[in-house]
Order: sequence, then structure tokens, then C-alpha cells
Amino acid sequence: MKKVGILRFPGTNCDRDIWKSVELKNQKPSWLWYQDHFNPKDFDAFVLPGGFSYGDYLRSGALAALSPAMESLREANQKGFPIFGICNGFQILCEAGLLPGVLMRNKEGRFIDQWVDLKLRNQSLWSPVKINQVFRMPMAHADGRFYIQDQDYKKIQDNGQIWLTYENNPNGSVGDIAGIMNEKRNVVGMMPHPDRALFDWMGSDDGLEFFDWNLS
Amino acid sequence: MTLSEKLKLYRISQSEYAMITDLLDREPQGVEWAIFSALWSEHCSYKSSKVHLKKLYSQSPRVLQSFGENAGIVDLGEGEKVAFKMESHNHPSFIEPYQGAATGVGGILRDIFTMGARPIALANYLCFGEPTADRMQELVDGVVRGISGYGNCVGVPNITGQTNFDKSYNGNILVNAMAVGLFTKDDPICLSKAKGVGNHVVYVGAKTGRDGVHGASMASESFDENSESKRPTVQIGDPFFEKLLIESCLEVMKKDLVVAIQDMGAAGLTSSSFEMAEKGGVGLTLRLDQVPLRDPSMTPEDILLSESQERMLLVCEPEKLETLVEVFERWGLDAVSIGEVIKEPVVKLYFKGELLTEIDPKLVVDHAPQYKRPYREWSLKNDSSQFSSESFKTPFNNKELIDILSDYRVGSKEWIYRQYDQRVGSSTMRDCSSPVGAVVLPSNRVLGVVLGCRPHIMRQDAYLGGLDSIFYPALELASKGFEPLAVTDCLNFGNPEKEEVMTEFVASLSGMNSACEALQAPIISGNVSFYNETLDQGVTPTPSTGLIGLKEKVENTPTSDFENEGDVILLVNLGSGFSSGYLSEIRGQQSQYIFNESFSSLAEKFKKMISLVSSGNIISSRVVGSFGLSNVLSKMCLKNSIGAKIDCEQDPWLEPFYQVVITVSSIEADRLAKEFNQADMKTLKIGEVGGDTLRWKNLNLPVSSIKESYVHSWSKSFPQLS
Repeated sequence: MKKVGILRFPGTNCDRDIWKSVELKNQKPSWLWYQDHFNPKDFDAFVLPGGFSYGDYLRSGALAALSPAMESLREANQKGFPIFGICNGFQILCEAGLLPGVLMRNKEGRFIDQWVDLKLRNQSLWSPVKINQVFRMPMAHADGRFYIQDQDYKKIQDNGQIWLTYENNPNGSVGDIAGIMNEKRNVVGMMPHPDRALFDWMGSDDGLEFFDWNLS
Repeated sequence: MTLSEKLKLYRISQSEYAMITDLLDREPQGVEWAIFSALWSEHCSYKSSKVHLKKLYSQSPRVLQSFGENAGIVDLGEGEKVAFKMESHNHPSFIEPYQGAATGVGGILRDIFTMGARPIALANYLCFGEPTADRMQELVDGVVRGISGYGNCVGVPNITGQTNFDKSYNGNILVNAMAVGLFTKDDPICLSKAKGVGNHVVYVGAKTGRDGVHGASMASESFDENSESKRPTVQIGDPFFEKLLIESCLEVMKKDLVVAIQDMGAAGLTSSSFEMAEKGGVGLTLRLDQVPLRDPSMTPEDILLSESQERMLLVCEPEKLETLVEVFERWGLDAVSIGEVIKEPVVKLYFKGELLTEIDPKLVVDHAPQYKRPYREWSLKNDSSQFSSESFKTPFNNKELIDILSDYRVGSKEWIYRQYDQRVGSSTMRDCSSPVGAVVLPSNRVLGVVLGCRPHIMRQDAYLGGLDSIFYPALELASKGFEPLAVTDCLNFGNPEKEEVMTEFVASLSGMNSACEALQAPIISGNVSFYNETLDQGVTPTPSTGLIGLKEKVENTPTSDFENEGDVILLVNLGSGFSSGYLSEIRGQQSQYIFNESFSSLAEKFKKMISLVSSGNIISSRVVGSFGLSNVLSKMCLKNSIGAKIDCEQDPWLEPFYQVVITVSSIEADRLAKEFNQADMKTLKIGEVGGDTLRWKNLNLPVSSIKESYVHSWSKSFPQLS
């Protein structure tokens, strides 16, 4: 059974949803508290759930990126562990410099909760795997407009770092980007919520595949 | 200050002043003025409504906690229980919409988790004025942003709601928030009864500031031209703090570190401390100078009356204090012992060593005045025998229907609910786009939540409106297979000192009560909001309701839309009453209705509806509501862009008490129609799903036009908000 560390910051609110998602795929979740360091070797993968860390009163994710647990997470990254950030977790990874770009206020300036279709553009080190596969799941955020400078956009495009794109861009993200990965392809982040598409009764179970990690 | 100035400042009447001096056997002194002002306010004491609320049907075998605590609790079986309640934040939201609505959400959430339940769902019942009314665009924007800003951050999904518009709300909007919390198997229920002489009284959460001082008495007054000046009485919310408070409070309760707990809501520290002592039959000493303050220059009176948000008062045994404080510190929150429980039943307030007052909490809580405000017996407004659909002739064609669907009162409210996180918690099965919100419980059963009260029916007749505030949402639950279990309410009315307002209050409450008794769904929590009036103009009497229902399985839950070409549309009749409805009001025609159903026979049919739906094969269902069949059939076309061909004699605009439209596959149609008929619900085939137009009588309207009218209604009336 793979061990998955779930990072909790003050204001994280999808932590229990990630716990549920990880358990559904027969993996063993554990909590990691933002104030404590951890040893990456005790785990197989890490997830940063959604929420409003520190209330998002400064830039979303900016304060969480400076917490002690994030120092351990950098170490995990250096060792090539899979790291997955969703929504606020994605914002934190960008703020921490583990992923390129930044997430800004949605184009219409408001929080948006809606269903979106996402297309897989490039493969990360772990699943899902089928290029051009379309996934349906909810998004729910105010600060989800992915932005990156032109020259860097070209770079992530050339490197194949664009992970997921929106079929109908809801928030004004550059290049319709919904999710990206780092160069080594072990760190991924996405704004929409695979943790809210686990069963048919939720409206879709397309999200399950995102927790079905193909770990060696 | 002269006596009359003092009475005015503290909003205490001459007769109440006489009662106070009588109870104390002397004049009130110092902070005692503030204490009586707050706890004897309408908002805290329910002095105009208590005599009527006592008569409510409020018990059933499932009810574990009814009125008297922070929220009501219902046993769902299988180790699961839910706490739920609805509360108003009307006055503050009109003065300062963002903070007013946000703190309304925060307050109702605290009522739930203070009992030990984890909040799992939010719902909002909103009434606004006409889009062209003064400040209305700003009010709608602020309220929605406030609910969204607070609810999304604390991570509780908003799964259902209702938004009404009418000119009677131009000067007094209504913002009612409902929260539902879940206890799983080993979660303790915590109450607010202080006990254990020598135990610590602990202050937890955010620091106390000057915001909301005199808030409770503000909410107990009508507005005038100077409402703006009341802005400092509105509290400021911090949802991030609330989230920390939820997690830390649930943790200390689960670790058995808490003897009693109550949130500091209206009238802040005053009401929580006096009520906790009174309920426990004990006394408290409180050292006000130990209260964590934002501004050290605050006076004892400010500290007592502050309605700063995100604060709790709890009682803790001395040997557990250290562990308790550690938990809160881990979450970054203050937890400070500010006093002790004492045997003698008096609350002793100290400030820097000086005893400010000692009062028996019974005098302040129990002996608050109870008024028997004058009201008349209700007589039905309409002579129902004269109702005939013949006299009700409104044309029905493409243009008329488009007109109605593109009206802001009818059209899509998606602009509102897409700003709410409807799915955090990963348990939402039905969101705000559905007539019934639903979350899946850990036991894999489903909890349905729906709000009720149709103001246009209230304007027709307050008694009928009261009945309908229960029956209509209960039928919405039943039509999806949920058994209605219990009710919370929020009674929004004008000035209770006016006989006509009190008459409508009593009439609607009696309607609600009769419906609840028939359905055996007791009213177990709620609040009363009086003085919703500005310059003598009161709001439509609006007793909003929140119902919860239980369904044994996820499966066999009908959708609310036309799904497949060729499906058969059935119209199920549960009663024979009708109202000329919303259209007659909008068109300025005479409003008429007839309602002569026996309540018990209605309730019986609701039960049969639940069992027929749960046994499967119903593809979709919708209760026929405002603007009758024409509106409900149009709405069913939207999601999947499928039309229908209808053949039905009934007037398209009439509003029935009650009917449900269902769709079934053509092979099942005859069998199901027969089953409904046998269950005493007259059921007719009225059409077939299919095509890309809605066709009926003179109507032949493309679904794309229906969609466009429905979706664009919002931007037409709220151009600044789209």
C-alpha cells in the first residue's frame, strides 16, 4: 500500500476530500502539519489540497509557501517524489517556485463554481496517461487565471510542461491552461477538482484516475 | 443623562424600566443598563413571539434536541445525527451588505459546530427589492459576495437556495442563512448548560473589538432615513478565523475537554454568559479585564456588548485546561480563562478588581417580558367558492411565455449560485441548479435540503402561505424520494406592535404548524425577525423554512429535466386546489385561490409519492410552482436542450396545490400512471418528450429561445452585475 502525505495549512478545506480520494484508490493517507518538518522517505507521494490557506488574505498561497513543511517538500522534490497540488495547493506550489507561473484573479473578478472539460496535453511521471483524453470535473475558485510571461510560456510549451487545458476557458488563463508540471515532470498542479468527481452521483467519476498513481 | 435619555439610548420602554426596578428592587446601575438592553431586546428575548412559539409542534421520536439550544438535532439512525438551524441577518445586510451577509453565514455555522456537529451544508433564502430600487444592485452584489466570500473560505458547500424579488423588500432586504451539521458515530453532542463549581470559564477565538456594540438592539428596531448611521453596529467577519475555530472546537469536544459551550452571537459575551449560567442553574464570576481585546481602551460596557465574530465561551474542568489551551494554540487561537463557575446563582462581573454588578441570571433571561401583542382571528382573504378558472384568462403564446421567462423574478439565478462553492466536502449529489439540494452521508444514504415560503402566496393569504411554506418544499423532497424529517424556520415580519402584522404572524404560524403536524415533521429550531420595516412600510410577511429529508439510497433519485426523446410526461395530482398565482399579481388581475384539501390526506399522498419514486423508474420530476405548468415545462427543456409536445386542458398559468410533473419511459408509462391513480393521485398523460421545440396549444417555441430568455433575464435587470 502506497503512503500518501497530505499537507494541511491553516485554512486548508479540501483535506478530508483528498483523504477520501486517496483511500478510494487503496492508498494510505497521513496528515502533514504545516508547522512540522517531515522525512520524505516515510512517504511515496504528497498532495497539497484546496482551500484558503491563511485566508488567502495576501496573494493566494503566498504565506503557506513559507511554512516549515514546505522546506521538507522541497527536499522531496529534489529526490523526485511525486507532488500533486490541487486548487489552493496548485497556488502554493507556484508561490513556492516548485511550478512556473502564477494564479491571478479570474477574468470576471468573481469566484466561479462550474463544471469544466479538461484535455490531457502531456504526460506527467504518473497517471493519467492518455494524451488528448477529456476529463469532466468541477472547478471552484476566484484566483485561477494562470499567467506566465510570453518567453516562459514558450518554454513550458516546448518542454511539454502543459499538463491540462480547458476546453472552454472559464477564467482567462493563458493558453487555456488548467494544470502544469515542472521540467522533471514529478510536480503537477491543477485548478479544477478531481477530488469532486469520484462517483457517478457527483456528476462524474473522471477524477478517480488522478489518484490512481502509477508509482514505481 | 436624564432617565428618558437613558431609556432611549438603551431602547428600554417605560414599562420595562418599571419591571427592571421591580426585579432588582432598586434602580439599574452602570453596566446593568447594557445587560438588560441587550437581553431584553426583541432579538434576544423573543418577547413578542414567545407566547406563540411555545405552541409549535416541535417533538417527534427522531428529535433529540428541539428549541432551547443553539440548534435542533434529529436522529437519522445508523449512528448519524444532524443539527440544523436557519437564522436571519436582515438588518445588518441592508446597512452593510457584504459584512452583514458574511457574518450571517458565520453566525449560523457557529450555532451548528458549537453543538459538536461538523457543518456539511449551507443554504440561503434571499429577498430583494426591485432591481431599479435605490441601492438594489449594490445590495444584491454585496450580499452574494458576502455569502460567497465567507462560505467558500470556511469550506462548507452551499447546496440550495431561493431568491425572491418584490417591491415590499425595497427598503428591507431579507438574508436568511441555514446550516446543517453532521454527527457521525462517536461525535459527542455538546450543550450550553454551565456546570461544575470551580470549573473555568474560557474565552476562545478572535479578540474582542468595538464592532457590533448594540447590534442586538439595532436589529430590534425599524429603519428610518438615518439607517446609514447604524453602520458601526454591524459586525465584521473573518472566515479564516472561523475555519480555525471549527477545527479546534470540534477537536476539543471530541477529546472530551469541554463541559459546556456556546458561541458569542447576538449581544456577545452578555448573552452567552448569562444564558449558560441560567440554563445550568449556577453562577459565574467573570473578569472582563482578562478578555483579549483589539483595543485596550474598551470599556466594560463595550466588552459586554461587542458582537465581534468568531468567539466562543466554554466551561472546562481545571485539570483539562492546559490540554485545551494547547489545542487552541496549535490552531493559532487565543484561549483564556476569564472566570469560574460558582454555586450561588449569580453572575458577578469584575473589571480590574472592581465588582461591577452581581445579578441572578434568571432575572435577565427568564424574567424577560413576554407580550401578548394584539391580533385578530384570521379570516380567509378570498371567498374561495367564487374561484373559477373561467374568470382567469391570460393569453398563452410564444410572446407571453418569453415575456415571463425573461422576467428577473422567473429567470435563471445562476449568476448568484455560481459564486458559491457547492461541492467542497466531496459529498454533493444535487447542487443549487436542482430544486432540492442533496449530500451523500457516510452511511451512503442521502440528506436532502430544501427551502420554502413563496412570498406571492403569502401576499394572497398569510394562513395559506404558512401552509404552503411547509407543504410545497415537503413535496419537492417527496418528488425526489426524500422523507421530510424536520423543519427550521426564520419568521421575517414587520412591526409586531401593529395589529395587522401580528395577525399575519399568528395566522402563518398556525398554517405552518398544521402542515408540520400532518407531515409529522416537527419545527425544531429557528428564529424570529421583527421590525423589517422602513418608514412604516413593512415587508411581505415571509416565514421562510428549511426542511431536511432522508433517502435510503443514492439510486432512484429522479433528475429535474427532460432526459430522453420519447419519454412520456405525466401530471400527478395530489390535491385539487389552485391559485391564480404570480401571473395575476404581475398583471394586476384579481388574485384568487381555492384550497380545500384535508391536510392528512395530502400528507398521506406525499408518503405514497415517496414510496413510488423510491421504487424506481421515475426518470425526472418537478413540482408545479409559480407560473404553473408553462414555467415548469420550460425549465425541464433547459439542461439537455430537449423539447416536448404537450396536450393538456389545464390553464398553463394556473398554480396548483399540488401537482408534480414526472417523466417515465414509454413502456413504463401505463403501469406507473395506474400505480399513481391507485394511490389516490389522479394522473394524466400530458405529452411526450422530444424535438427541439416546446409545443402546446398556441405555443411553438424553440428550446433555444426558452434558454436565451431564461439565461438573459439576469443581465437585463442587473446590467451592472454580469
